[in-house]
Amino acid sequence: MPETPEDLHEALATAVLELDEVLTADLCNKAVALGYDAWTTIEQGLIAGMNRAGKLFDEEEYFVPELLIASDAMYAGLGILRPHISQANTIHGRRVVIGVVQGDTHDIGKNLVRIMLEVAGFEVFDLGRDVPAQAFVDRAVEVNADVIALSTLMTTTMTQMSKVVSILEEGNIRHRFKVIVGGAPLSQQFSDRIGADGYAPKAAQAVQLAKQLTGLVNAAA
Amino acid sequence: MSANGRRDELTSLERVGLALQYKKPDRVPAAPLVCGASCRVLGISYDRWSQDPKAATASLLAAQSLIGFDGFLTLVDLSVEAEDFGQEVIFPEWSTAYPNFDNPCIATAEDYGKVARIDPRKTRRSSAVIEIVRGLAEARGKDVAVMGFVYGPLGVLSQIRGHAELFKDLIRHPDRVLEAVDTITGSLVEYAIAQVEAGAHAIVLDPLYSSSTILRKQTWERFEGVFMRPIADAVRAAGVPVVVHNCGNGVYFDAVIEHIKPIAISHAYPAHGSPDLKHHAEAWGKKVVTIGVIDPAKAGHEWSQDELLEECRQQIETFRIADGGFILSSGCEFPPNGNLQSAATMVKAAQLHGWY
Repeated sequence: MPETPEDLHEALATAVLELDEVLTADLCNKAVALGYDAWTTIEQGLIAGMNRAGKLFDEEEYFVPELLIASDAMYAGLGILRPHISQANTIHGRRVVIGVVQGDTHDIGKNLVRIMLEVAGFEVFDLGRDVPAQAFVDRAVEVNADVIALSTLMTTTMTQMSKVVSILEEGNIRHRFKVIVGGAPLSQQFSDRIGADGYAPKAAQAVQLAKQLTGLVNAAA
Repeated sequence: MSANGRRDELTSLERVGLALQYKKPDRVPAAPLVCGASCRVLGISYDRWSQDPKAATASLLAAQSLIGFDGFLTLVDLSVEAEDFGQEVIFPEWSTAYPNFDNPCIATAEDYGKVARIDPRKTRRSSAVIEIVRGLAEARGKDVAVMGFVYGPLGVLSQIRGHAELFKDLIRHPDRVLEAVDTITGSLVEYAIAQVEAGAHAIVLDPLYSSSTILRKQTWERFEGVFMRPIADAVRAAGVPVVVHNCGNGVYFDAVIEHIKPIAISHAYPAHGSPDLKHHAEAWGKKVVTIGVIDPAKAGHEWSQDELLEECRQQIETFRIADGGFILSSGCEFPPNGNLQSAATMVKAAQLHGWY
């Protein structure tokens, strides 16, 4: 077992990278038992490991199965460490409601975006797949979200995204939320046409877009 | 009469048949993969279209008559086989059917053993597709290409287990996955043969996960590539050619060709390793016939007719290098809710710009 917080963080990052959910949980339990700062352990252990996995994905060393299992390991650790995060270490507080629109059950892309948003410090409310347009709006209002993130892989369900925008407009609450869209058949042109605030072709770009739209970074950065 | 005043000299079937053999037909064939979109031609709801073979056949025939495309594809949806293997499927009134993953047939890894052989000639949805093939072949099979469709065994399994869970099981429970894929493969062989017997001129196999954005090449080969081979061999033994469709990004053309040996590949993006379509055409255009590569979402929802016409013209020019081995098509199913005029414009583009 690692002797120092730094050693433990490195071991944790490696455990996530190597898809070892059991070891990840063990190390997180040890961090709690030793009184290590939970947020630092998340940042320098779990998130560092997930970032390394993401880099390997970009380099075609890892593929979707590896990334999904790495994220399972990360979430196993998060479940242990979350209750121990001190209020002083809270993240920037931006909130995202995310889901796959009604009629579509392809949620891997959405899950990757969710992970990367969480890694970037967003508080994410994941509504899952096959989500009715009204449910996005209701949840966004309920949690006072900053961003509504909509995903679909199918051309038949693209229109569900414009329905979300329409409901926001009809309720005179469009200005309260940034709406971003993503998924294989989409384009910036489509995003513009339905009146969304942005389109991201890849998960990493969705995070950058959410940061820009919520003022965490400026668009030129 | 064609859009530019020239008259088609061949039937659609002859045109497609020649293109698939790298023999230049009168002009580039156009097959914009109008499948579910055809339900709107006769005003039939999507859920009925998906489940009533007579209604689907009538719709596809009416769409071909209206649009003039050169080939039928009997892709109904990717849940056809899954339902027959026991998965609950949801049928929206105006959209594509999909599995209810809140009630997956394979809820845990232990459930892979529940997958059992089916007889696609008797099961509800597969038999309906076979009837669609038969109806199309009887009505127009002498003139228009009829292409059957079979989703690959790993794809079918993902529609029963859930995509994410299946991908994780490839690492956690590979033997159970392989056993289920093997069982499904046996049924798909029968399904493909039944479509040939019903009159299909070719069978389109869809190995969706042979894509670099999803699986490592060796992973796809282990879990699906080797299983695709007996399906493809059975189709060829039944007397018709095999075509591959994969709308994923970065398709492993080399592995797909090695395992399936298709005469054509229908795709939406350049092959893995090709940075753009021009490079792709130079690398692969003479090795396997290209069916594609118009962006379906843009064709159906975004581009003006003039923009689409120009995009088609550019692709026809890009694939002149293939010496006749090119069929203008959308890279995936034409959007069921897309502008049908755009499908007609793709045919018009071939008639305007596709003469050899």
